[in-house]
Amino acid sequence: MGYGRSDSYRVATTQDKDKSPKKKKGGKDMDELKKEVPITEHKMSIEEVCRKFQTDCVQGLTNAKAAEYLIRDGPNALTPPPTTPEWVKFCRQLFGGFSVLLWTGAILCFLAYAIQAATEDDPAGDNLYLGIVLTAVVVITGCFSYFQEAKSSKIMESFKNMVPQQALVIREGEKVQINAEEVVGGDLVEVKGGDRIPADIRVVSAHGCKVDNSSLTGESEPQSRSPDNTHDNPLETRNVAFFSTNCVEGTARGIVICTGDRTVMGRIATLTSGLETGKTPIAKEIEHFIHIITGVAVFLGVTFFILAIVLGYSWLEAVIFLIGIIVANVPEGLLATVTVCLTLTAKRMAKKNCLVKNLEAVETLGSTSTICSDKTGTLTQNRMTVAHMWFDNQIHEADTTEDQSGASFDKSSVTWLSLARVAGLCNRAQFKAGQDALPILKRDVAGDASESALLKCIELCCGSVRANRDRNKKVAEIPFNSTNKYQLSIHETEDTNDNRYLLVMKGAPERILDCCSTIMVQGKEQPMDEELKESFQNAYMELGGLGERVLGFCHTMLAEDQYPKGFAFDTDDVNFQTDQLCFIGLMSMIDPPRAAVPDAVGKCRSAGIKVIMVTGDHPITAKAIAKGVGIISEGNETVEDIAARLNIPVSQVNPRDAKACVIHGTDLKDLSQDQMDDILRNHTEIVFARTSPQQKLIIVEGCQRLGAIVAVTGDGVNDSPALKKADIGVAMGISGSDVSKQAADMILLDDNFASIVTGVEEGRLIFDNLKKSIAYTLTSNIPEITPFLLFICANIPLPLGTITILCIDLGTDMVPAISLAYETAESDIMKRQPRNPFRDKLVNERLISIAYGQIGMIQAVAGFFAYFVILAENGFLPSRLVGIRLNWDDRSVNDLEDSYGQQWTYEQRKIVEFTCHTAFFVSIVVVQWADVIICKTRRNSVFQQGMRNKILIFGLFEETALAAFLSYCPGMDVALRMYPLKPSWWFCAFPYSFLIFVYDEVRKLLLRRNPGGWVERETYY
Amino acid sequence: MAPSGLILLFYFVFYAFLAGMFCLTMWVMLQTLDENIPTYQDRVPSPGLVIRPHAAEISFNRSDPTNYNQYTQHLHNFLQNYNDSVQERNDLCLVGEYTDQDAEPVKKVCQFKRSLLRQCSGLSDSSFGYAEGKPCIIIKMNRVIGLKPQGDPFINCTAKKNSPLQIRYFPSEGRLDKMFFPYYGKNTHADYVQPLVAVQLLLSKEDLNVEQTVECRVEGSNLRNNDERDKALGRVTFRVLVSE
Repeated sequence: MGYGRSDSYRVATTQDKDKSPKKKKGGKDMDELKKEVPITEHKMSIEEVCRKFQTDCVQGLTNAKAAEYLIRDGPNALTPPPTTPEWVKFCRQLFGGFSVLLWTGAILCFLAYAIQAATEDDPAGDNLYLGIVLTAVVVITGCFSYFQEAKSSKIMESFKNMVPQQALVIREGEKVQINAEEVVGGDLVEVKGGDRIPADIRVVSAHGCKVDNSSLTGESEPQSRSPDNTHDNPLETRNVAFFSTNCVEGTARGIVICTGDRTVMGRIATLTSGLETGKTPIAKEIEHFIHIITGVAVFLGVTFFILAIVLGYSWLEAVIFLIGIIVANVPEGLLATVTVCLTLTAKRMAKKNCLVKNLEAVETLGSTSTICSDKTGTLTQNRMTVAHMWFDNQIHEADTTEDQSGASFDKSSVTWLSLARVAGLCNRAQFKAGQDALPILKRDVAGDASESALLKCIELCCGSVRANRDRNKKVAEIPFNSTNKYQLSIHETEDTNDNRYLLVMKGAPERILDCCSTIMVQGKEQPMDEELKESFQNAYMELGGLGERVLGFCHTMLAEDQYPKGFAFDTDDVNFQTDQLCFIGLMSMIDPPRAAVPDAVGKCRSAGIKVIMVTGDHPITAKAIAKGVGIISEGNETVEDIAARLNIPVSQVNPRDAKACVIHGTDLKDLSQDQMDDILRNHTEIVFARTSPQQKLIIVEGCQRLGAIVAVTGDGVNDSPALKKADIGVAMGISGSDVSKQAADMILLDDNFASIVTGVEEGRLIFDNLKKSIAYTLTSNIPEITPFLLFICANIPLPLGTITILCIDLGTDMVPAISLAYETAESDIMKRQPRNPFRDKLVNERLISIAYGQIGMIQAVAGFFAYFVILAENGFLPSRLVGIRLNWDDRSVNDLEDSYGQQWTYEQRKIVEFTCHTAFFVSIVVVQWADVIICKTRRNSVFQQGMRNKILIFGLFEETALAAFLSYCPGMDVALRMYPLKPSWWFCAFPYSFLIFVYDEVRKLLLRRNPGGWVERETYY
Repeated sequence: MAPSGLILLFYFVFYAFLAGMFCLTMWVMLQTLDENIPTYQDRVPSPGLVIRPHAAEISFNRSDPTNYNQYTQHLHNFLQNYNDSVQERNDLCLVGEYTDQDAEPVKKVCQFKRSLLRQCSGLSDSSFGYAEGKPCIIIKMNRVIGLKPQGDPFINCTAKKNSPLQIRYFPSEGRLDKMFFPYYGKNTHADYVQPLVAVQLLLSKEDLNVEQTVECRVEGSNLRNNDERDKALGRVTFRVLVSE
């Protein structure tokens, strides 16, 4: 028919003799699996196959033999991928990524406490508490993300079909229904329409058998099965049916040649589970971030360690300081913030039908630069639909949209009515019972895909086909077969006065045309002339060129005198006229693109994401769909198109001129790595057709080699290796196979490619917002560390204690930091290029420079100001403070003199010190107000961005209320050693808060004024 | 080199500015302070008690002077300011009356002569009783600006032990005279000396070689002496171990 179909999959030459491939990763076995399928039985005769398995093609295996084989080969089931035990998953959450930093901090704290406990009589509990809190934070966050992911996998599990499969086998000449797991090699099995094929079988006999291989090859059209070997490639030949594909109609008998993991499907599944996946981009970013933080911490720690030694502290004290400084650099709250931010986004995405299996994958779509999409079921509806019709010498377009919102055509023509009648009558498909309530397009149909398409089309346009069939009783029928290439049926007419029979016929257009002598135009029969034939040819070519499957229709009223009522039509030995018919028209079908896809592809393109189609389907169909959805955009040509347009041979076209290209699987296998890279680099619009699962994997690897972050979408088993290998695999929730869902990181619950765009958007947004959250959280690190540094160097009373630091990191900073995840994008994030994973880091030196070097310093100064104010107003002027530390912290000194000559007991001055801690803490809260407002944007002014983030406003109030609570709540002096502040002390940090706001607004103004200027290069994070 | 130089220059200017702003705000704050009296005194509502010699445990061998020399030396040093020669320059004040002098620009200082401490003055017995095994401990109350104790404050010491310990107080009854209050601060009241109370533990023979825990409180006034948290507020506890 209309397909320029040619051979495809790579032919295997070796027989896979070894037992199920071992799961040794990266070794020879993986390479072995990446090669093509080693089945040879299709080339053997049936007798040879029987001999090989010591079976009989009539009687089947003996029970004894079957039992023997079962023991030898094991059950006929896929080895489930090695599931990670729950505790391992839990530990991964506990010790993975960011947690390492906190664990290190906690261990250092315990170490410091141990040193203190060993050397001092009355060690301060601070380090112990800090260690405990750090441990608690990691454990709680670990549990949180563990349960979060467990929830996703529970939704996953609900997809699993737990019904055990049955198979009908013939053993010792008797048909027995057994569990599909017990099927062994050599078994004679029988399958019929609706069954799932229990193993890879070599067909021995078949009656109108068709199988749906779409989950294996991506080809949406069912293919017939017969005992003859039609192709060297086992995946192409007609005489092999594959494990876990479906028999659509007819019956077949075959000998099992492979079971379990040795089946084609099993090999793909094993390949998938053996693939190792790299780290997610966000995990890499967090690792990079940890490096930076550790670097800063160790640098500060060592510097002050040396300084402490120089200042005359003892070694042990210096070590305690070293540990203290390193631990102070750990942003305690950040792990929780990042986890919550990712979870919020995951929830938001789940609401938009993107279920994320792995929290870290939330961001991956945002960094994606290439999407390799499967065609069938992802881009298309995976449902043959009538797309075009040709009648009255004109091509009409049918509505292919899912919701019937598309264009319609003129239905009043008599020709159309005849065409509809033929299409409805000469059609064996019918709706399954009990679906009257469903919309027509959603109903299940028993029958072949094209006939179903016709049935639905007619039912939609002309009402009940069943009623029409009842009115026109079928009296005889010749079903479709590959020699006739037509289908024919004879009906009584609905007009009771008319005793003539109606003969209707459909089939391959050229075959139908041969049977016709007239053609119907505008409802009138006209003799078929050359002009009309020419016109037919053009229409046929055009529709075929669209990648559509074209059928021709014709009919005739049989003359009453020759075929009177009750005439015995013999369909085997045709005793009636099958020529001189009247041609009516053509109908062509395609698996049409989903409505939302072209728009989504367009959005991906404007977001700088390359969309590549990788399909098992034929190049022409693939190209047609690619053009339909915009993967090959309008006006772009392939090498072949250019050659056709210029009328020159393909070899003379410069491949560089063509932006688009369609690559066939057979060509792909001959390409070297360099040629592959060349294609991926130089063509913006690529379609890979007739690709095997292994080739899909190679394509993904090729893209990754070029530095792209690759997303793969797919639904079939054939996609699962690529899904696993991709940086983010996206499986389809409704149509997707279990294997593909297992391999994927994300599942589109509505099977809608457009949801990916949402995913990209959310992913990019969360990356930006995480930057903001981190910038916000890190800033307060400086006012938390500097007090300790000054305590060591200037010997002043400690300005900020461990408890207050924790109150900031785990208390007041939390909600504002999380609220930044709700921040809306500053500009259209779908209009910019995907981030470059090598250059655009989550945390870079500019972010650290801003957060630590600039804003953090202002905050520290604000805190110290509050500290000095309180001490001065209580009698200790700054000049008195320097060097006071030893006496200040000495419990036995109960008459320490202040600047005014008053004398203080230890407890009295400690209360002042703790009041200072509280004031320092409150000051940090006050300057963090300004910080969260400036962190809302990275480039825009806050006046452009607005204050619409309600969570953030809530956060501002919440942190203030929390600070006030901690300061004023009775009992806090005992519980956390925080004391009430005089109202005026709240205002100490206000000038600095204001300074932060003004400073950053000016910075951002300069940034916007001079794009690419010094300010941007040095401060844009 | 140039770009990194630029960022260094930027940071230099930035921090200079920040330092300037800090100094400015500090200066403004310091302008609001009174030089004679701190803005807030609510954290020192009540004075603490401390002892001299400064030690949590006073333990010595009474027959070995080198053993207790550190204590007596400490006391001698401490009492330098109370030498009669120094104190005679100060004014005599009305006994039992506050020495209110809010209006005067230069505050007078009431004299507290070392000799008031009699046996514990170290004048007659330069070993402060340490040689006899009857050590003197001087108790002093922290200076708090403007503090005017109500009632008649006096120091009362008790031994935390079953048999009562003989204790002698100088001045008599351990009285802290009201004339030494209020204190006007280092600036205007530079030579101020706070009143002292010396307690002499008259240890008996049986008390030797036994650790004595003594707690002294200020009583007879509104001054706090039983704070849960602050064990130094209006009271002081110390241990004495005299061996032979």
